[in-house]
Amino acid sequence: MNDGAYEGAHLGKDDVVLKTTDLEKAFGGLVATDGVSIEVERGTITGMIGPNGAGKSTLFNLISGFYENDAGHVTVNGEDVTDLEPHERARKGLVRTFQTPRRLEGMSVREAMLVGPGPQKGESIFSLFFSGSDVTEEERANIEQTRELLERFEIGHLIDQPSTDLSGGQMKLVELARAFTTDPDILLLDEPVAGVNPTLANDIKRFIRELNEEGQTFLIIEHDMPFIMDLADPIIVLDQGKVLMEGSPDEVRSDDRVIEAYLGGAGP
Amino acid sequence: MSAVSTWVSETLVRDPTERRIFAVLGLITVLLVVGVLTGVIGPRFLLFQIALVGMYALLSLGLNVQWGYAGLINFSVAAFWGIGAYCAALLTAPNSPLGLGLHPVFGFLAAIVVSAFIAVLIGIPTLRLREDYLAIASLGLAEVIRAIILNERQWTAGSSGISGIPNLMSWLPLTDAATTAAIVVVLIAVVYLFLRRVHRSPWGRVLRTIRSDEDLAKALGKNTYQFKMQAFVIGSVIMAVAGAFYAHLNLYIDPSDLVPLTTFYIWIAVILGGTGSNRGAVVGAAVVIAIREGTRFLNDIGFIQTLGIDLAPLRLLFVGGLIILIMRFRQDGLLPPKDELIWPAARDESSTGGASPSGAVPDGGTASNGGDDR
Repeated sequence: MNDGAYEGAHLGKDDVVLKTTDLEKAFGGLVATDGVSIEVERGTITGMIGPNGAGKSTLFNLISGFYENDAGHVTVNGEDVTDLEPHERARKGLVRTFQTPRRLEGMSVREAMLVGPGPQKGESIFSLFFSGSDVTEEERANIEQTRELLERFEIGHLIDQPSTDLSGGQMKLVELARAFTTDPDILLLDEPVAGVNPTLANDIKRFIRELNEEGQTFLIIEHDMPFIMDLADPIIVLDQGKVLMEGSPDEVRSDDRVIEAYLGGAGP
Repeated sequence: MSAVSTWVSETLVRDPTERRIFAVLGLITVLLVVGVLTGVIGPRFLLFQIALVGMYALLSLGLNVQWGYAGLINFSVAAFWGIGAYCAALLTAPNSPLGLGLHPVFGFLAAIVVSAFIAVLIGIPTLRLREDYLAIASLGLAEVIRAIILNERQWTAGSSGISGIPNLMSWLPLTDAATTAAIVVVLIAVVYLFLRRVHRSPWGRVLRTIRSDEDLAKALGKNTYQFKMQAFVIGSVIMAVAGAFYAHLNLYIDPSDLVPLTTFYIWIAVILGGTGSNRGAVVGAAVVIAIREGTRFLNDIGFIQTLGIDLAPLRLLFVGGLIILIMRFRQDGLLPPKDELIWPAARDESSTGGASPSGAVPDGGTASNGGDDR
């Protein structure tokens, strides 16, 4: 495929939450992210697909700050966050989940959920001793929110379970719920239904859609084509570290370059 | 009386195995008391051992904050302990190289300030990196501190050590041994209550998240570096306080105790007691000291004398054997942590299950997460 085939993403959208400009990252000689510029519009569920090794996860890590980029910029709500640490980006409203569910050893689902909201007063030792009643009040509110969210996601009965005892799909739901408690401006989901049974995958799709209808913006990497084609619009296609194209699910589905990329047409 | 027993059953003893462990501990206490009453054990000796156990319990509580709460691998327990001990000895002993002879309060204050300072100094370059960097740096620190104390004779008296350290609160109407034992009990109580308050809170929760998965904590907007630094400094200060106390217990200090073996005794105590559990740290320390000190007398037992072997040097073997047994039969330690890390005052008593403090975390035997990844 020649370079001309890389059309790039749609830029110049109206209300942009997340924007990357010419992001680059190389691991030794391998260029994993090659001048990626994308925009995610507020209120959308933006999908991101691409064949294995296209650089989706690298791009996620660059956006969330877990990798340092070689060149380019990341902006959240118009503010340049390129030089910020991952936790600082999270506080700016950019929150991610991980591809493999993270297991919190020795914590109940309730505890695992309660790590989400932040910054909490009770995270300061000083407040624990000198404004205990504020901590109590905040903690009560967070516990209540945890209970409501878990019930909404139809896993309320799991609240007392050890968080390590959940199935892969339940763990993905807890992750989604926890990420939501941080009150993010944009949620980056890395393969939210990888390894999840079809029934639960449908539930997850429904919950993402519900949250989106309430105004939550998403950027979602997913390998499950029917899932992402049904859920997201627009969809950004990555290939060999570059943005191949962006379009509606129908446009992506019928695009020859996308088919070629997936069927191994890569190379000159 | 029933209030006490309720408190005991709800906060101390949660399952049959724990009941057995506490029964054994109670039996040993009774035996010790009987020993004192019948004159087999000198009360002065016993009080000294209690103070020693208490000091080790403080060290274990300190390491538990670092390793048990936050997952920080600190191999310089002996160094922070030594810093505390030398701060106390140098400032209070009239014949130390500094020759100040100050009140012990200044020794404790200096121990706290100096250990906090050094903890921050070590933390700045290592706590931003992966956990193994702290392990390596702290191992180095321990040797550096020991080498400095050994070689800077003009400041530390080197290998000849410092003697003439005053007793604590000798104005109390008790024997010196009883006073030190009482002081260590108070110190443990203060540290224990402090840790109990900070651990079952959003703060303790973030630390446990960091311990399990630091990236997740970062992704949720937690400044993990800051949290780890706090845990590291708090733990180190507790160790230094234990060291300062030891100086006033032993009344003499030299660098020979600052060896890595001291550090590993504390690690054993924490793992044995149950990583992350304050009760466990105290019990673990008591068990390790009981083995270490108890084996000194093995050769006095007639039956062993007839065998004609010297058993006392085998104490490490006993400790090792015990660790293997515990890991085999009770993977999470004697008294693993059970409390949900939720601010107690905010616990939702009305909701189903929320009222049960022990409902969430399985005990060691049935845990599906098991001990495989320890």
